[in-house]
Amino acid sequence: MGIVEIYEIIMDTLVFIFATNPFSPWIRGVLGGLVIGAVFGGALVMVYLERKFLGDMQSRIGPNRVGGRFGVLQLIADAIKLFTKEDIIPAKADKWLFIGAPIVALTSGFLMVAVIPFDLLIIKGNEYAVAVSRMDISILYIEAVSGLAIFATFMAGWGSSSKYAVLAAFRNVAKMIGYEIPMGISILSVAVMAYSLDIVEIVEAQSSIWFIIAQPLGFVIFFIALLADVGRIPFDQTEAEEELVAGWATEYSGMRWGLAFFAEYLHAVVGSFIVTLIFLGGWNGLPFVGNLYIPGIFWVIAKTIIVMMLFIWIRAALPRYRIDQVIDIGWKVLIPLALLNLVWSTIIGLMWA
Amino acid sequence: MEEIIDNFIPVAIFILFGLVIPLAIMFIVKQISPRSKTLAKFTTYESGSVPTGSANMMFNVEYYAYAILFVLFDVELLFLYPWVTVYVNEAVITSTPGFTTGFSILAMVLFMIVVLLGLIYEWKKGVLEWVR
Repeated sequence: MGIVEIYEIIMDTLVFIFATNPFSPWIRGVLGGLVIGAVFGGALVMVYLERKFLGDMQSRIGPNRVGGRFGVLQLIADAIKLFTKEDIIPAKADKWLFIGAPIVALTSGFLMVAVIPFDLLIIKGNEYAVAVSRMDISILYIEAVSGLAIFATFMAGWGSSSKYAVLAAFRNVAKMIGYEIPMGISILSVAVMAYSLDIVEIVEAQSSIWFIIAQPLGFVIFFIALLADVGRIPFDQTEAEEELVAGWATEYSGMRWGLAFFAEYLHAVVGSFIVTLIFLGGWNGLPFVGNLYIPGIFWVIAKTIIVMMLFIWIRAALPRYRIDQVIDIGWKVLIPLALLNLVWSTIIGLMWA
Repeated sequence: MEEIIDNFIPVAIFILFGLVIPLAIMFIVKQISPRSKTLAKFTTYESGSVPTGSANMMFNVEYYAYAILFVLFDVELLFLYPWVTVYVNEAVITSTPGFTTGFSILAMVLFMIVVLLGLIYEWKKGVLEWVR
């Protein structure tokens, strides 16, 4: 029995669980906890890789004490530290907002995970997307729930009653709303080419040509807007250490800070998934592989890791923008370019129709 | 309709996860973390000095202008989302009298010109300047 047959048997079982059960949405939701766990693990891996690669790129060693030469157990040590630190809520803080912020941030990340498809299986003529939930409007849904993160940072900043945190919260809202629009327009440009808002269908539309080739400008705009959206360098003015201490997370400590931090990395990982799915062809393999059968889920994860590496590389390579420059880039450069790209993709979409 | 609700049941369960997991983690932390009630620990950080005044300050009206612009643009964008799914859809075109690809493209071009004029107006008016 070859690998192909084993994979097919596993997938058959999955399809049975996911598609033929009368209570399937409920079971899918509960099993979705595993997907959350996997993406959470992905976020952990990203934290480790980021520290290690940043170390290498900056001629440092990086984590090297816990778990041998490569410090692989560093994150477990960090988790123990976070769990055993005292949980402090400042006396002046608005307690409910302060407690609620990490919860909203994490929930927003989880909800984005719910519609990410990992593969599309065609078994006995029926299509089954390997996803917790398949919606007609999944890309619009992802945009909507990722917007919840804005509330999380504002709750954290306003709730902690610290001047640095409040400034960071203002900056964050101004930045996020500026970049939500170019992001929305470039998502639209993708949907114009795929004639659908369903991520599964968007990926299927890329079976002949990936959208990064069909609209490179759209990819650049989306990627920049995504960097701003997940708040990574060069767009991390909201936690600029030199200006705002730790930004909106200044008053957070211990595990509460850990939750907010993980929510941020969760967003980065999910963002890499979205780039993979809507621009890099998702589970469509590279042409030079030929007839070799490689499961689609492998492609999705491999491409996602490459996008994550790109995030880390950019963090090591670029300095931080000033806040007014950030806002200017969003409104005066990206929006006109995104509209231009929308025209381009509509023309291509009409030609393909 | 049934199918749409089915698609959102996992979402509801995920919201539950999002509520339960952080609370459970914080419960564990409460059990195993040390507690010591020094008063100074609960003051807000302000570079080491005693915090003065309230942090919940008023903000510049510029932020408000950006927020208004955002709402306008986002609502305009929302109209495009249904449009992308139907503008070349055969089934919709045949079932809707008077609806053709050319018509929908023309309508959208007019709409986008209005959006663009709005952007240019705001730009010339100087609303998009961070420091005024």
